[in-house]
This record gives sequence, C-alpha cells and structure tokens, in this order.
Amino acid sequence: MRPNGIDDILRDTLRQEVTETAGGLVGLEERIVVELGERRPRLRISDWLRQLLAPTRGGRIGQLSVVGATAAVCLLLGFFVANRIGPTGSTPGIRLTPSRDTNGSQEVLFVLPALDATDVAVVGDFNSWEPTALSDDDNDGIWMASIPLAPGRYEYAFVIDGRWWGQDPLADEYVQSFGEYSSVRYVGGGDGA
Amino acid sequence: MTRSARPWKTCIVALLVAWLGVSAVAQIPVSEFEQAFRAIPVSDIGRFVAAAELGLSQPDFPGTEVLQFIDRIAATSHSASEKEALLLSIVVAMEEGLPVEDLVTKGLEGLARGVAAPQIEQSLQQRLILLAETRDLLYAKGIFSVAPGSPQSVPTALPTPRFNLLISHISDTIADYLEGGGSPFEGQTLYQEVRFRLMSLEGVTLIAEDVDLVLKRIEPADLTRIALSAVT
Repeated sequence: MRPNGIDDILRDTLRQEVTETAGGLVGLEERIVVELGERRPRLRISDWLRQLLAPTRGGRIGQLSVVGATAAVCLLLGFFVANRIGPTGSTPGIRLTPSRDTNGSQEVLFVLPALDATDVAVVGDFNSWEPTALSDDDNDGIWMASIPLAPGRYEYAFVIDGRWWGQDPLADEYVQSFGEYSSVRYVGGGDGA
Repeated sequence: MTRSARPWKTCIVALLVAWLGVSAVAQIPVSEFEQAFRAIPVSDIGRFVAAAELGLSQPDFPGTEVLQFIDRIAATSHSASEKEALLLSIVVAMEEGLPVEDLVTKGLEGLARGVAAPQIEQSLQQRLILLAETRDLLYAKGIFSVAPGSPQSVPTALPTPRFNLLISHISDTIADYLEGGGSPFEGQTLYQEVRFRLMSLEGVTLIAEDVDLVLKRIEPADLTRIALSAVT
C-alpha cells in the first residue's frame, strides 16, 4: 500500500524540517578543529605506558603492579563488553546477528509529527520491539530519533502515548501484521535507502 | 628480548586474556536455555533443551533473541500451556534446522502489541509451514545448503547462512502477502512481491548471484503452492 497525496505533502514537509535542522551543522567541523587546536598536546598512550614502566627505585615490583593492573582493567572491560552483548544483558538494544553487524551501520532518522503527544517512541525488529524514545527538544511537535542500523530491512511502528501507529509517511512500504499496519524501511539499499 | 619489548608482550597477553573472557561470557551455554524453559515451565524439558542444542549448533542461530523471546513469554500472564504453545513453533524450527529469526521477531512483535496468545501461535505456525515449504521448494529446484567451510559440491550449494537468508525472505514475503489479504492464487503477484523483496536486499544482505539463481528457478505456480499449504 503506497501513501496518497496527503502523505506526499507530509513527507515533503518533514524533509524540509530535517533539512532546516541540518543547517545547524554548517561549520561544525571548522569549529571543532579550532577548539581542538587550542588544547594542549597530550601524552600518547605509548609514552604514558613507557613512563610508567621505566625502571624506578621500586624496580620489578612496581612494573609488575602496573602490568597486573592493566590486565585487570582489560579483563573488567572484556566482561563489561560481553555483558552488554551477551544474553544476560537486560538493556534492549540493536540486535547483533551475523548477517547484520558485519557491515557498517548508518544513522537512520525516525521523524513523526505528533503535536499533542507527550510520549513518542519507535518499536521495531531492530530493538526487539522494545520502545526507543523519540525527542522533541524544541517543542514544535516534531519528534525525532536517530538510530544506527546495519544494512537490511526493518519493520517498525511508532507508539504515541501508548497507541501504536504503523503508517510512517517516510516508510518505504507497509505490511499488515496481526491486523495492524507496520512500516518498513530498507537501509543501505532498496527503494528508500 | 629487550627491556622495552617485554611490557608490550605482557600487554598483548593481557588483551588475549581479556578476549578469552569475552568469548567465554558471550557464548550462550545450553544451561541458560534450560533455565529459561523451566521458568515457563514446559512439559517436556528434555525435548526443548535438545532443540536448543540443535539450534546452537547452527552458525547463524540468534541465541540472544531466542532467549529474550522465552523470557518475555515467561513474564506474560498467559497460562503455562499457552506459553508452551507459543514456543512450540520455534522448537520445531530448531529441530528441523530451519532459520528461527523471523519466528522470534514475529513472536516478540505479537507480545509487544498485546496480541492474544492463540493468535500469535497461529501466526507462528503459519510461518513455520512457509519456512519448511520454502526450503523444500529450494531443494526441489536444486538449490542446497552446505555447512560453512565444507566443500561446495555443486555451484548451487550455498553456505547455510546464505541459504537460510533466502528461505527467510521468501517465506516472510509470502506470509506478509497472505496477512495483508492477498490471494494465494495470484501467483504472478506473489512472484512480483518476492522478486521486489529479494531485489531490494540484493547487495545489502543478499548476494546478487543468489537472488539471480532463485528468481531464475522459481515460478509463480511454485509460490501459489507454498501459499496454499499455509492456508489450508
């Protein structure tokens, strides 16, 4: 099912909104470069490690302590990362499947006009149908979220104050699921990518 | 060994230990599935655990998502028999070596939408039939699956993850078509839907030569037969 003329107008309006928002990014790179240039040069990690591991009065015990601490930090970091991507992690997140995490993700913008809404979220197969909140920082009724997605096909719907809305004007297509609409986006290829 | 080289080697060893730590935790032990099944609780724990073991032996098995689905079923207020019924399609798919990702996604969606358990179960059963029929169709058309790393006996023997992706997308397209009210007898329309889906993902998640192979070998009548098997 394809959007009708009203959807086209809505789509154009949304695109214009996104374009105007993007205007704030003009000159961002230059500003970052200038700010970075004003900072003091830092020690590189290799220099820092060399200083720590240099022979001192404490001798071998001091060096071993540093190496041991490094190993402990690496282990803790490893377990932390594993918990984030492992089965025991309780935080809903983007799925990590072999077919979808090998290529680079790209930021996909989800935009929805909902003037009187107080809570808008997007649910889909990219977040295991657990809500990811959209924000409306300037209170203009346009809710947005940018979500990194690996190339692929994604089904989703918006949840506006607890009600599901599956007909995103910016969708590439729509499907019916359990008697309701879901929107579909192709990322990294297809019609709308 | 020089004095400056030693710390670097030690750091490399430390990183290796950290990586081993990650691997040990990231690999899902079958005991986690057993624990999750017991929380349902299922009537035949042995069968469910054996199915999970079979699933885990597959290279593209989405273990994390399956566990998530089991946990969410356990957290619902459905009766134990309803919960077990929701899991049954996934278990059968694991036993049959079929890809389970679409079933899990559909199940999670149904739970999130608050759909009644029998309706979710019916949808999963229909999709299970479509998965099995699609696999049989590809076999009948001379397109096979080989384990990754195994010698490719014929050019149409695809590594399992690639083969499973084709099954998933073809059967999911037919399922969506039927759920949207499409007639199984409109074979040409169905074929165009499948073609659109595969072409949209060509070069994205599907390999162009696999898409070409399938589209050359399947016909509208094949898809009608598969669709009919799911609705009768």
